[in-house]
This record gives sequence, C-alpha cells and structure tokens, in this order.
Amino acid sequence: MKGRLNAKIAVASAAVVAIALATTVGIVRFVLSTEYRAPVRSDEAQSTPRVQAQQDEAAAKAKADREKPYTEETYRRLPRVGSRVAVWVLAQLHLLFAAFVLAVPIFALTIEFIGWLNGDKRYDELAHEFTKLLSVSFSLTASFGAFLLFMLVLLYPKFMNYLMHVFSPTFAPYVGLFFLEAFFLYSYYYGWGKFSAVVHLLLGLGLNVVGTAIMLIANSWLTFMTTPAGVSESGAVISTWAAVHNYTWMPLNIHRFIANIAFGGSVAAAYAAFKFLGAKTDAERAHYDWMGYIGNFVAICAFLPLPFAGYWLASEIYAYSQTLGITMMGGAFSWLFIIQAVLIGNLFLGANYYLWLGMGRVQASERFQGYIKYLLILIALCFAVWATPRSIIATVSETRAMGGGAHPQLGYLGVMSAKNTAVNLLILTTYVSFLLYRRSGRTPTVAWAKLGNALQVAISLLAGGIVLFLGIYGYFVEAAVRIGLSIPQVGSVLFAMITVTAIDVLMYRNARSLGETHWGRIHPVSQYVLIFLAVTFTWLMGLMGYVRSGLRQHWHVYGVVRDTSVDAFTPTLGYATRIVSITVLIFFLLIGFVFWLASLSDHKKEHA
Amino acid sequence: MSVPAPLKILALIVATTAFYTMVGQLVPQKEVHPPKETALKKEMTSDELVGAGKEIAEGKGLCSTCHTIGKSGALRFPDLAGIGTRAATRRPGLSDVDYLAQSIYDPNLYIVPGFNPGMPVINKPPIGLSDQEILAVIAYLQSLGGKTTVTMESKVWPLAAGGAGQKAQ
Repeated sequence: MKGRLNAKIAVASAAVVAIALATTVGIVRFVLSTEYRAPVRSDEAQSTPRVQAQQDEAAAKAKADREKPYTEETYRRLPRVGSRVAVWVLAQLHLLFAAFVLAVPIFALTIEFIGWLNGDKRYDELAHEFTKLLSVSFSLTASFGAFLLFMLVLLYPKFMNYLMHVFSPTFAPYVGLFFLEAFFLYSYYYGWGKFSAVVHLLLGLGLNVVGTAIMLIANSWLTFMTTPAGVSESGAVISTWAAVHNYTWMPLNIHRFIANIAFGGSVAAAYAAFKFLGAKTDAERAHYDWMGYIGNFVAICAFLPLPFAGYWLASEIYAYSQTLGITMMGGAFSWLFIIQAVLIGNLFLGANYYLWLGMGRVQASERFQGYIKYLLILIALCFAVWATPRSIIATVSETRAMGGGAHPQLGYLGVMSAKNTAVNLLILTTYVSFLLYRRSGRTPTVAWAKLGNALQVAISLLAGGIVLFLGIYGYFVEAAVRIGLSIPQVGSVLFAMITVTAIDVLMYRNARSLGETHWGRIHPVSQYVLIFLAVTFTWLMGLMGYVRSGLRQHWHVYGVVRDTSVDAFTPTLGYATRIVSITVLIFFLLIGFVFWLASLSDHKKEHA
Repeated sequence: MSVPAPLKILALIVATTAFYTMVGQLVPQKEVHPPKETALKKEMTSDELVGAGKEIAEGKGLCSTCHTIGKSGALRFPDLAGIGTRAATRRPGLSDVDYLAQSIYDPNLYIVPGFNPGMPVINKPPIGLSDQEILAVIAYLQSLGGKTTVTMESKVWPLAAGGAGQKAQ
C-alpha cells in the first residue's frame, strides 16, 4: 500500500517537474523572441494635428492599396520544414500507398482466378483477405494525392502553371479514371460473394486496367520532368502525345508495374506476419503462414526481373542524355548505388533465408538442406562484390599508397562489369533456392527424371558460366562493347530461369509426395524476416524515388524550366537518407493503422 | 517477461530504418550546387582566358563529368591530355581551333574511333554555354599540350562561317 502511494507521489512529482520545466522553457522562449522597442519620445510640438495626420495616413494607404500591381509568385516558402522536404515526403507517401493500392488487386485477382479455375475456396478467401487492406489504403492514397497537389500549387505556383500548360489535356481523363477506380474498387471489395464469379472477376479486371491507366498518366508527368519531349526550346508545347510518350515513360511504366507488385506483395506478407505473430490457434497460424508465403512469393517473383527493368530505364536515361546518365551512375549519385547494393543484397539474403526457414515446414526437405551453405557463400560473395565501391574514402597518405582514388585490387570490383555479374548470379542463386524449396517433400515419377535433372544443372551452370565469362571479358574491351555485354548476361539468366522452370513443371507433374507441408510450423523468426523485407522494399522505393527525381538537379524540367528556388541544390546523401527514413517510418505507422483496421473485421466475425 | 509482438515489430522497423540511415551517413557527403557563372571580359590575357576556360570546363560546361585528362584504359569518352596538339592533326585542312569549335558546337560531327556518340549540344540548355564561354573552353583545350591562339575577339565556326549561334557581344 505504502509502495503504491510512493509510486503515485513519484509520478505526480515527475509530472509537476515536467510541467514546470515546459513552462519555464516556454517563458524563456517567449522573452527571447520578443523584440525590445525603445519608447517613442518627441520633444517638439507636432506641426500637423493628430486627426488630420491619421486621415492623411489612411488616404495614402488606400491609394497604395488601389495601385498595388499584381505580381505572379514563382515560389512560396513553407517555414521550418521547407518546401522541398514537404513535397518530397508527401509525394513519397502518396506513391507508396498508390503502389500498394495498384499492386494488391493484381495478385488478388490472380489468386481469385486460380481459385475459380481449381475450385479451391481457400484461394478465394485469401484473395478476399488481401483486398481487406485496400479500402483504407485507397482513401489514404487519395488524401495524400490531394495534399500533395495543394502543396505543389501553393509552393511552386509558376512551375505547376507550366506543367498545366503542357499536360492539361490529360487531367480530365485522369479524374474520370479516378472515379472509375473508386467504382471498381468498392464494387470488387463489397461485392465479394454477392456477384457471380465471372462478374466479380471482371470487376477485378476493370479495377486493374483502370488502376494501371491512372499510373500511366501520372508517370507521363514525372518522366517528362526528367526527359522532356514534345516542347520547343523555350518550353512551348508542340505535341502533348510526344510529351507523354517521352524517353523514360514506357521504361518507368514497366519498372513501376513490376516494382509495385514486389512492394505490394512484401507489405501483404508483412500483414500476414503481423497476424501470424498475434495468432491464438494453430489454424490461424497455418492460414497466415500460407498467406505470408504467397505474399513473399509474389514479391520475390516480381523482384527477380526488376533489375532488368531498371537496366532498361537507366539505358533510356543514357540514350536521352549522356550527361544525365553519367550524373546518375558516375557523378553526384554514384554513391547512392552503393547504398542500393546494401538494400538489394539484404533483400536477396532475407528472401533466401525465408525460403530456407520455410523448408522446415515440409517433411523430407532435409535432403536439400546441405546445399544451403553453398548458396549462402555464393550470395555473400556476390553481395560483397556489389557493395564494393570503385573509389573509397581515404586520407591523402592512403590515396598515395593506393596510387589513386581506387584500391589497386578491390577497385576492379567497383566497376559495372563486376556489378552486373554479381547481380545476375544473385538472381540465379535465389532462383535455385526457390527451386529447392519447390521440390521439398516431393520426388518426380517420370522416367526421364535423371535426364531432366542433368539438363537443369547443365543449363544453370552454363548460364552462370556465361555471366562470369562476360563479366571478366568486359575488363578487356572498350566501353562501347562493354555496355552491350550486359544484354547477353541478362538474357542467359532469363533463359535459364524459363527453361529450368519449364522442365521442372513437366518433371514434377504427378510427383510422389514424400511428406506433408505443415503450414504454421515455422520458426517465428521467419515472420520477422517478412517484416524486415517489407521495410527494406519500402526504403528502397524511397531511395530510388529520390534518385529518379533528384537526377534533374537544379532543374524542375530538365533543360527547360530551371529551379531558381533556395532548394536548387542536391543535398548530401546523408540528408536524403534521413528524409527517406522519416517517410518510411510514417508509412509504417499508417500501414500499421490499416492492419489494425483490417483486423477489426476479424474480431467482429469472432464475436458474431 | 516476454515482449509483446507489436513492440518487437516496432523495434524491428525502427532498427532496420536506423541501420539504412546509418549506411547513408557512411558514404561521402557532398552537396552539389548549380554551377557558378565565370566572369569574362573582352580584354582578358591568354592566361586569364585559359583559367576561365578551365573553370567553365570543370563547372558549368560539365566537360569533366565525362572527359578525363591524363588517364588511360577503359574510358567513357576520349581523354583530353594533349588535345591542344592532337586537334590540328585530326582532319586534313582543319586547324586545331576549327576542329575544336566544330566538335563543341556539333558534337556528333567527328566521333573518335572506339567511342560512342553521346556528347550533348552544349550551347543549349541544360548546359547552355554562351559563345564567349565556348571561346574560353577552346582556349583551355588549346593549352592542353598546345599553344593558345584564340582571344575573346576571335570568331570561330559556325559564327565565322555565318552559321547558327549567338554572336559574341
């Protein structure tokens, strides 16, 4: 009793001290912010009577007000936060929610379609559960979009006026599509189980088509800012279609489409992990383990071709302007790609680790576990190569000792030949991990199984050998040839993935089961891996959004509309990463709210 | 006492974000500001013109983004060491000044074997060098292994040929 009283007194004292401290700080800040003004003294008698002077002043003010000229403001400044940071954070949050809202319907529809084809109700329920996250996310996307638009018009009026000059014909279709998106989304979600299966699938298809069309229009605005087309040297519109269909529009459309699926899959997997960790029964754990696996599977499937889409986007930037390309890869942003390498390396490590942990839920998967250490060594090596910079931070004496900015041996790993090789081998290794997981607990029954296996191994080794050979060959040829080598490298990995999958599907048709898959029987660490992957995907999107936009440097529209604001400089990478982190934390606070709201409907069901 | 899962999740999110922020602080930190304008006067000496040209080539002109001086091996664009003498031997009948001026005003006119075209037009945005600034850059390039002959009064191609371009003020 006495102890409790003491605790109460301690809490009350702490509160009093905190209030006193806050009050003191407030008073001091008020006093410091109040400017001292000397009292007005006049020793002479005023020549104009007071009333007359006041009337003259009022008349002069009225005249000045009447004659005040209208001047268009170029910029307005947001105090404290700054205009650039405000727009940056809002744009990124809008984009993250938009990516999620666009991605979930793609795989929800695919899962629903699979369920419709094979008649398994579990798929239909899973697709429905994914879409639970959509409605609140859609509202948040729209809210952040409106907030962003207001801030742009408020803070960058002249620049926004120019964008309206170029893109005004696209605004009406955009708004129309947005209404259609709302119609399809809510019909798709609330109509679950109430329409016939075909009608419902068509609603889902409509939702995806409209969502993609919205993304295409918005992408045209922002790609135009980096690689403008369809305008004269002074910026006058020649062709709106050419402005839309600029150099980087289609590569970004493809890149975003794939990246959205990877991101959406990872966030949906994080939702499943959140639910798994709070699950009370084995049935719940089994369901959310399966959901997390599907979400992660979607994310990784989309993630594997993403570097190829990114390569196309980068090559189009180079094709538009070598200067822009070199600023990106060899100039102000070159170190950003080292940070990107750390993120992507973590994604590969995390994705593989989750697959390896997942083997634990499948009986008779032990026969493959011996391979994991070799895969891990390969992934770690590739990660190390990819994260090795060309030039390193060194003191003058260290630079002298190295004979330049690059390390005499490790410097060779910092160039594109090594990095292309590393990323292609990472993709191939992750694919092999997935293949091993897929085979766990099953054995083929076809007569040509040995031949099939040998063929798969030969194709994988050949692809790896081609990647490695071309990577080394790149050191001995001129730039013009070296740049072209990445295409056969990518091609051989894609070829291996497609052919090996085709052989595997045929070989494991009617395969004999060696043991059951026990969904829910997985180490809880796996669920934290899923959350780690979602955070890493989100952070990566923030970082790459920064480079895509920051690449323009001191231009609003590259080479057409110059940025003359106080923010017309490229901040340090340290500063940029802090902003990215703030955005990511805000996003996860909000998405946590979305998860919580989605869970409320479960409670309702439980109580019903 | 076991820590509730939501708290562990929150800690993981914060720790992951903090880790990536830390990685961002470990790389070199550099703010890049818009290029400064270099003051040019009609009565500049040859040395002053070369100095101004060097400043423009390394700053507003963005030349050093792609071109190196005195490097060999796998290069993106031709190395500029010795260009002052080499320029006069590139095309028969073409002086060093003409070759440099033509290569700057029309970058795809001559492509050095082994390299891809890719140099932007630099007298238009986003680089947007004026004719005077280009004269200064030519003076600087001449100084790399050769002798500077251009002055601020010089009229180089395409101005000398009556072609497009802003006339030197």
